[in-house]
Amino acid sequence: MHPAIFSRFLAIPAAAAILTSCGDSSDPTTLVERELTASEKSFNMVETSRERFRYQTQAPVAGHGDTAAAESGASEPKLTYDTPEGWEEKPGSMMRDVNFVFGEKGEGSCYLARLPGAGGGMAANVNRWRGQFDADPLTEEEIAALPKLALFRQPATLVEVDGPFAPGMGSTETFENYSLRGLILASSSGAVFVKMTGPKELVAANSDAFNQFVASLDVKTN
Amino acid sequence: MANKPIDWSPGNWPKLLFDLFTSFKLATFVLFLMLLVTLFGTLDQVDNGLHKAKEIYFHSWFINETMGNIPVILPGGMLLMLILFVNMTLGAIVKVRKRWRGAGLLISHTGMLMLLAGGFITNKFATDDYMALYPGMSSSKVESYREWQLEIIPLSEDGKADKAWIYPTEVLNTVRPDEQRVITTEALPFDVVINGFSKNAMPIPTSAPMAAGVAGKEVDGFKLSPQKSAKESEQNLPGAYVEFRPDDGSEAIEGILWAGSYYFDPREKPMPFTFKVGDQLYGALLAKKTRALPFEVRLDKFIFERHPGVTTPRNYESRITRIEEGQPDKPVEIKMNEPMRYEGYTFFQESFGPAGSNPGDDMYSQFAVAKNPADQWPLWALCVTGFGLMVHFIVMLVSYSSRARKKRSASAATS
Repeated sequence: MHPAIFSRFLAIPAAAAILTSCGDSSDPTTLVERELTASEKSFNMVETSRERFRYQTQAPVAGHGDTAAAESGASEPKLTYDTPEGWEEKPGSMMRDVNFVFGEKGEGSCYLARLPGAGGGMAANVNRWRGQFDADPLTEEEIAALPKLALFRQPATLVEVDGPFAPGMGSTETFENYSLRGLILASSSGAVFVKMTGPKELVAANSDAFNQFVASLDVKTN
Repeated sequence: MANKPIDWSPGNWPKLLFDLFTSFKLATFVLFLMLLVTLFGTLDQVDNGLHKAKEIYFHSWFINETMGNIPVILPGGMLLMLILFVNMTLGAIVKVRKRWRGAGLLISHTGMLMLLAGGFITNKFATDDYMALYPGMSSSKVESYREWQLEIIPLSEDGKADKAWIYPTEVLNTVRPDEQRVITTEALPFDVVINGFSKNAMPIPTSAPMAAGVAGKEVDGFKLSPQKSAKESEQNLPGAYVEFRPDDGSEAIEGILWAGSYYFDPREKPMPFTFKVGDQLYGALLAKKTRALPFEVRLDKFIFERHPGVTTPRNYESRITRIEEGQPDKPVEIKMNEPMRYEGYTFFQESFGPAGSNPGDDMYSQFAVAKNPADQWPLWALCVTGFGLMVHFIVMLVSYSSRARKKRSASAATS
């Protein structure tokens, strides 16, 4: 083969190199105008960052037998659940959709919280909970191997840990011989946390009640 | 006999290069490297998910990764396929001696070149989007799974708009989490300043315990917490700190934009960060990149069947009508493995929602919408390659039979 023919075929890699370098030549210092299509012309005008980031100011919660929601005639999705025997429901808060206490002095607690997005990630949350009990963090592989329990018909990761409980959040107190039993469900549409803490014996005695509460959780649209 | 010494003089370089690129040894070496890249790229999907693994191993020029503790330093899939393409073109098509006996191999190599060229066209020009619709809804746009762009929208007080100014995905993705970038346009009376962009992030209320460990600035009771990239890249929800600096020198407006303010359900509407400059209301939003279709699709009916007694789906399919220039076309069914192909687009029945729907709930249907100019090239390439191999086998068979007949005739004549 004559080398001159080869030079003709240099065009192949050259053309490929030019084609592969054909990126979008958008100017990084300016904006580009575009017309909106019919389905894009309307926006939901929310007033606060809390609404915009899908944190509810008033949690759309209604327990079984709660007539307030029914009377309101609201058609928004509602969280429904059964209150386990011996558990007392407390008002929710900005971060907690459902809030229970149990035990003679109310020393046990269980709450459900939701966060938009992945909620900070599975590993960060598992290890944050473990850190509250002075337990070593788990690796991604160890977290993946944790047992699962159904939460809203999806497999949620079960976290159980014992030890001295330092809840943080401004509290410097440490509660000796405590336990945590919690579930974390992380999906693209949001993260759900169910966390029960209390003295070790009390948490063990309420394990079935926890499972009953978790199994009863559902979302109803009307 | 001694080997002839290689002539390294510059005048001989074209010949040396030609010999290298037409070498059978090079083809073997490249195929071996492709085997390794395929192996590592497949294993990497466990940690990085399908999309990222494809980008790192198959759509790249070079690979410099670690898998566990093993460093993986290899030429990328793109480079290997380019070398193989050049090698096969020069070695198997140009250099090879043209004769009828080799016609089959020539055809089959052409088929393989078509396969490589098709892969290149797919990589560069194919789009992969989705459309989600409730029954009765229609749309003439598709949305990207993983490309987000910044949109600034002049709004009416009741949240209506006709146009938007966008900062496209390709440039938005180049903004680092610690970078400040100022964007100007004469059409708007303010500059847009991005004070850091994270490809996956989450706004955390400062009242939440996990906010204590977040370094970002607090804006309106929230901090933006950068997150590790999700394994499936379509689950990433980017976020950015933004600032709008009016041209008249009045006070800048700060905000946090987060992709979660876009919509997840086709009945929802995006929730922009709103601000006023002068008397005009504006919205800012991280929105998915959209592509317009040359026709409209209306979902007439979504059929969703579950296995008895459980929520697991047994079958789901959609009945749609295409609408062009306001005129409805005939209805079409889109089922699993029975996509609709029209005007270069392929609509696959992909999924459904919302997640956790119960029997009787309203549900939407989601289509994967692919546009690929080389969609059918793998099929044609395999047909051409198969035909070439068949020709080669027939030529070889005829040649062998002919030789055997001559041999038998010769031995009969000598016996």
